[in-house]
This record gives sequence, C-alpha cells and structure tokens, in this order.
Amino acid sequence: MRINENKFFALAKENGFEAADICYSHATSTSVSVFHKEIDSLTEHESIVVTARGIINGKFGSVETEQIDKTTPQFLINSIKDTARIIEKDEKAFIFKGSKKYHKKNVFNKAVAEMDVSDAIKTCFEIEKKLYAYDKRINKVITVGYENEVGDSFLANSYGLKLKSKEATYTYYAQISVKEGDEIRTGFKVFASMDPNEFDIEKFVKDVAEDALKKLGGAPCKSKKYPVVFSPETFSTLLKCFLGPIDYEEIEKKSSNFVDKLNTQVSSKKLTVIENGLAKNIFFTYYDDEGVAVNKKEIIKKGVLKTYLYTLENAKKAGVEPTGNGVDTNGKVIAKLNQLFVKPGKKSEAEMISKIKEGAYINELQGLHSGMNARSGNFSLPSAGFMIRDGKIAEPLSMITIADNLMNVFNNIKDIANNLELVIQTSTTCPSVYVKKISVTGK
Amino acid sequence: MISKKLAIEVLNTGLSTGADFAEIFVENKTSGAITVDNGKVEGASVTKTFGAGIRLLQNNRSVYGYTNDLSKKGLVKLAKSLSNSFHNKQVVTVTSIKNKSFKSVAPTAIPFESVDKQEIVDYLKKGVKAIQEYDKRIVRASGNIGYNHRDIVIFNSNGVQIKDSIERGRVAFQCIASENDKIETSHVAPGAASGWEFFKNDTNPEGLGKAAARKAILMLGAKECPSGKMPVVIGNGFGGVLFHEACGHPLEASAVSKNLSVFSGKLGQQIASPLVTAIDDGTIINGWGSNNVDDEGNKTQRTVLIENGILKNYLIDDFNGRRMNEKGNGTCRRQSYKFEPTSRMSNTYIDNGTSAPEEIIKATKLGLYAKSLGGGSVNPATGEFNFACSEAYIIRDGKVCEPVRGASLIGQGKDILLKIDMVGNDLKRAQGVCGAASGMIPVDVGQPTLRISEITVGGNGGELK
Repeated sequence: MRINENKFFALAKENGFEAADICYSHATSTSVSVFHKEIDSLTEHESIVVTARGIINGKFGSVETEQIDKTTPQFLINSIKDTARIIEKDEKAFIFKGSKKYHKKNVFNKAVAEMDVSDAIKTCFEIEKKLYAYDKRINKVITVGYENEVGDSFLANSYGLKLKSKEATYTYYAQISVKEGDEIRTGFKVFASMDPNEFDIEKFVKDVAEDALKKLGGAPCKSKKYPVVFSPETFSTLLKCFLGPIDYEEIEKKSSNFVDKLNTQVSSKKLTVIENGLAKNIFFTYYDDEGVAVNKKEIIKKGVLKTYLYTLENAKKAGVEPTGNGVDTNGKVIAKLNQLFVKPGKKSEAEMISKIKEGAYINELQGLHSGMNARSGNFSLPSAGFMIRDGKIAEPLSMITIADNLMNVFNNIKDIANNLELVIQTSTTCPSVYVKKISVTGK
Repeated sequence: MISKKLAIEVLNTGLSTGADFAEIFVENKTSGAITVDNGKVEGASVTKTFGAGIRLLQNNRSVYGYTNDLSKKGLVKLAKSLSNSFHNKQVVTVTSIKNKSFKSVAPTAIPFESVDKQEIVDYLKKGVKAIQEYDKRIVRASGNIGYNHRDIVIFNSNGVQIKDSIERGRVAFQCIASENDKIETSHVAPGAASGWEFFKNDTNPEGLGKAAARKAILMLGAKECPSGKMPVVIGNGFGGVLFHEACGHPLEASAVSKNLSVFSGKLGQQIASPLVTAIDDGTIINGWGSNNVDDEGNKTQRTVLIENGILKNYLIDDFNGRRMNEKGNGTCRRQSYKFEPTSRMSNTYIDNGTSAPEEIIKATKLGLYAKSLGGGSVNPATGEFNFACSEAYIIRDGKVCEPVRGASLIGQGKDILLKIDMVGNDLKRAQGVCGAASGMIPVDVGQPTLRISEITVGGNGGELK
C-alpha cells in the first residue's frame, strides 16, 4: 500500500499547512550467515518507511511511520501539527522548490537484484572452507555472511518537486580468529559492490586471513612519539572525524574548532579532499534529504578549507547556496559529508615508508565513539598495526594507544601515498598517509 | 494487532517444511523526541515503529524475516518464503493458542501520551538554563527528551500468546565549553522504564544541567593525562560500563555457545577476584534496562553471573541455549521487529563490596581516579577492551589531585577481573544504550567505586610522575 502524495498534500492544505513534503523509502533484502558448514541464520525483509514534514505558522512539524494503512494520512497530519506547535526557531521554515539541475544517473543494476541467494550461500560455504584451508593457525571462522539489498526512495513536495532513486547492492563479510599458543587474534573484512562480477573470492579470503595472521605476535612498543603511517582505512576514519564539525550549525553555535577557519589553512598543504556524492559506486546519491542537488566540490584544497556544509536553513542564514548535505535526523536536519576522495600522492606506500627509520604503521583504530572528541579534536584511541624499522614494515603492534589532536595530526601530514582504496566503512576513497609524529603509548 | 486465528495460520505455514519452532513478534511502538538547543525548541518528532518479525528454528539453524505488512497476505507470504529454507515434513503443528501473562516490573503512573508537550519543554528549558548560567565559557547547552510506548505481542508454536506494554523515557543534557581554542563536551543522561513521573518526581533538571556543566568546565582546565601502567580507581555508576563491555558481552550465549568467548566452558571456575560478585537483573522496578518479558516471551529474571569471583551463569536465549543444552534465562532481546533476537544484558552491575570509597582513594599512592567513563568497546574473541574517561584525576599520596583529560583505559577482560583488589560499598547504576547484533537496546550498567591494581592508561601527557 502507498499513500498518494497529492492526496496527502491536499489534506495538508485543508489543515492549514503552508507547504509539505513526503518521502518513501522502500527496501527488500536477503541476508545469510554461515557457521560450521551450516546456515546459521537467514533473514528476509520488506519494509516501507514514510517521513513527512509540514509547515504551520512558519514552523516545521515532522513525523516518521512504518504503519501504512488508511489511518496513516491523518496520523501524519496530526503528528506534524503536534510537533510544529512547540518549535521556537526564529527563522521562518520553508520547503525547497528544487535545484536548477540534478545529476541523476541510473546506478540500479538488475543483475544484483536478481542474484540468487542459493548461489550466495554456496559462496559463503566456499569462503569458509577456503579460510580453514588457508592456514592451520586459523582456528575459527567466526562468521561468513552475505547481504543483498534493493532500495528505492521517492521524495515529493507540495511545490511539485519529485525525485526518485533506486539501487541494489550486495555485501560479503567474514570474521575469523587465529591462534598460536595462547594468543588469539581476529580478522575481519567487508566487500560491497553494485556489480556481481566484481567479487574476487580468492582475494577476499586472502585479505581476511592475512588481516588476522599478521597480527600474531603483536605486542606493545615502547611508549614515545613516533612517525606514524596510517593505512587508507585508519586515515579515512580520522578524516571523517576531522571534518565532522564543518556543519555550519556547529560553526554558528561556536561549538566547532573550525570557527573562522573558512579559506584558511587547516591542514598540511599536501592534503586535498574532494566530496563527490555523484561518483558511481555504492555511495552514489544525487539529492539530499531536503531535495537539494548533490554536486562535486572541494572541501580542502592544498590544506585550505574551501567550504562549510549548509542545510537549506543555514544556507539562508549565511547568505550562501545549500551544499546538498542535508540529513533528516528525527525531524532536525543536519549537514553530513557525502563520499570523499583524498587526492593521492606520487609514491607507492612502500616508497613512502622507506624513508622512515623507526615508526608505527597503524591499520586499526578502536573506540572511536568514546575516545574521539571530534569537536575539540582530542583523541586517545586503542590501536594496532606494525612497527616500521629501517624503512620496512616489521613486527606487529597490539595493545597500544595513539593520542593527539586532529588539528595537529592534519597539520603534520608529511606525505601521501598513491595506494587509493575505497573504504566501505567511511565511504572514502583514500591512500595511506604519513604523519610526522604522534604519541604512541605501549609499554 | 493480529488475531489468534491468523497467528495459527502463519505459524503453521512457517512450520510446514519441518521447522521445530516458529514465532511471530508483532510490535507497535510510538516514540517522541523534543530537543531544546541554547534555550529554544529546535526539534520535535514523532516516530512510529510498526511491523512483525517471524522466526523459524530447526535444530541449530534459524531463519528470520520481517515486514510491515501485517495483513494476512503479507504475513503468510513471509512465513511461506522463510519456510522454503527447510525441506522436511511438518513435525510441529499449532492447534490452539493460550494467553500467558506476567507481572509488570515497569508500572507507569503518567503515560507520556497524556503529558502536555509544553511541560516537557519547560523541564528541558530549566536544565538548559542551569547549564548556560553555570559559566561564561559555556558556548552551547542543549537538552533532549526521548520517550516511547511499546506494545508487543508474541505468538509461538508452543501455543502461547504473550502481550506486553512498556514505557521508557530518557533525558540528555549536553554542554559544550570553549576557551582559547580548546573545546570540551559533557553530558548527563538518566532514564527509566517509566512514564513522565520519573522526570516529574525523581529527577531535577537544574541539578542535571549543573552536573553536565561542571564536568565540561572542569575538563577545560585539565591537563593531558599521563600514560603508562598504573593503579586505577574507577568511580561508581557509569564506571560499570567496564564490566559491561569487558565481561558482560563475553558472557552472552551468542558468543559462549559457539565457543567464541574467553569465558566459554568456564562455569564454576575462578574468573575474577574473590571480591567480585556480578549480577544481571532485568526485574529491577522501573529500571532503564528492565523488561516484564524478554523478546521471545520468557520472564525476565535476576541472574548471578559471578559470585565471589566464580563464574555461575551465562546470559542465555532459547536458540543459543540449544547448543549449550540450556534453557533461556529471560535475556533474549532485540531493538525492534527488524532484528532477530539474541542473548543480551539488561541491568548489569558489580555488587557492593565492603570498602568505603574514601578508603580506596586513601590506599592508593600514585594512580588515576577515573571518576566517570565515557564508553568503550570490546573484541569478544580476544577480550581486548578500551574505555575513555570522561572525568579523571591523578591520585597522589591517597588524595584526589589535578584533573586530567584524554585518558583511556585498555586491557584484557579476563585479566582485569582478576586485578580488582578493592570494591567499595557505594553501588550506583547508570543508563546507557548498548549496540550489538540484535540492535540498540536500553541497558543499565553499574558498580561501586573499585580499584584495579594495574591497567594500561593511554594519554598524551607523558609519563606519570
């Protein structure tokens, strides 16, 4: 069942709404995980979520529901009225009439939507078998899983704007533990794509296995300040935290360390970061939650901060164009980064590391939710990786903590390698990055 | 939400190909949230969670599906599709369904639905004002109240129907202080499985606001925390997140049953210092993590996990219990119908010891006093954990001295439990939201003030002198 948007807008008008919008997200998925040569769990789902907003007396009201039946339109209207009534923002709320141009691309690949779950189950079993065969020290394949999701969404407003998107993605993931003596380490990898032919089982098995095996023998290093090389994954994690507070709302409320930093040097000149939600991969998006067109833009150019992120409301306040970063979080729109690209350097990772006599290579960061204060930039994070000795990766490191301030780290970037990698967890394509010195606590 | 007649049809459709157990979990939850930022109401929303999850089990296999189409057509279609995973003859048939009821552990006097939203706004404004007035260095003060009313109905192939309703509410006051390019944030966030009366009678917004403000201002002036191995005294209340992460998760049957936990096969063994007794109690009246029944319809209970250092019990759900030859002990939980349920914690805490908190500080020559922790995580396979301190001080010669910021604690769950060498008598619980395989769920953590003889502290302030 579906709510007819025009009927909803008509009902909104009858109820004195100045404008309204409605968004549907419909998704179906199948996911499966295997354990010990058996299917451990299999999940199927189909769901619809409807979010709607309306303006009454210049204030926004907002609602979200998963119950779609004949009572829904009135529930939406009542909830919007009920929430709009208590909003006290000074600025008059408005709904966007639309951007001049949208860069819509068809990223939906029917072949992914039609992937057969029984084939995927066979692949999961094969991954499990290959992992056990890879190395005797692999003592447990904790889980191997697959997920296939098809989603389509639709945004419409009472000014006649209608935007649609549809995508299908699939994911494989695996987690293992390895054991040598009393020491246990774990390894985990995730692969996601919109092309069924892209999955390379041999490479995936190797990546998962090596992720765990390389950690064996890990021990803390001597505590001191070391030159540090971050892997693409760990650097992208720090980058996302670093740029978190460039939402203009944080700037306006003085709760960000980027206040008054627009068009100033905020990092080493080596760093250029581009945001491009339009890149054709699993993170493709061409409009944001407010219906604003997504475009490619520079965030940091040679160390200079080129823009803050503006929702519609904040763009109006600041007298600039909205940036296509609006995300509706329980009725409050905030600005969040779309996928990022870090401009690569010229050297390979090995060449970059070859210059370091003694340092640390960090490829795992934990405890972001508690050890990272993105607003102040202070962090203290349990980490793992390897020592770098005489220009080469040496023994594994575990139970260490790196601590510093993000502003310092980004200003101390010494070099950037050319090993670009799309990191699924952070929706960022980036290479390894060399930072002059960071405090590492070990023993 | 759905009739018994329809439930029987759906269960039997699911069972038709040999599943030995079938369950329908129906949920209808209405949530509200109001946010006051710098004194003005900036956000308000209503969210309705509505749908059903169907679970089929055959030996150690489970299949799960969910939908928000609760029509006969929608549910039968889902059950049929899930049943395609099995290929045997029907072994269980449901012919009738009886009601099973439970005593409520979360009585509600003032349902949120009956509360004028302006009263909630006024409450939040009082707290935000208290933060703003605390110190000029406070640049941003906000308060948020989230509340929900959740109705669930569970039908299963044992021929039972369980209906339950519960209300929960939680307030969070947040404070951001800034001075000379330094920024510190803090928050306090109490909650309960209760109606509006918890806010109206049991909490004081001004007091909560001040507590948040005090912490941010204190940390603004704090030096970087030194690093290295040292004795650490962990404060009561949210300090219990240490036990939750490092020891609670590895005691969940989801890890234990597959032999993936460091505590697998250790029942009856000494896994902690004899000073440690730890409990999971889903029945605490109006406790934030309490439930009348768990999400597979078993009565919640008080379970002693560790008694005087000896491992006594795990947290078990019926499905993972199959691998362990154990029945579930009322700990099966899920965020919503969108998640297959599994063993989880409820209100989990280390019980009181005998030392006065002052004695513990006094007995510590040089170390860290982690008065409150900010949160943390653990790798269940290796037991490695980490926690960030949100408020910490250096202890010198038995006295709490200068505050330090940026401290984190890292270690191994199994070691840390053995290294607890003093346990206080000031048990306190604090509220959190725990994320794991079956989603985000409300939990209490808790402990009295306690001391760990040695733990690695991470920080940027050099060696402790």
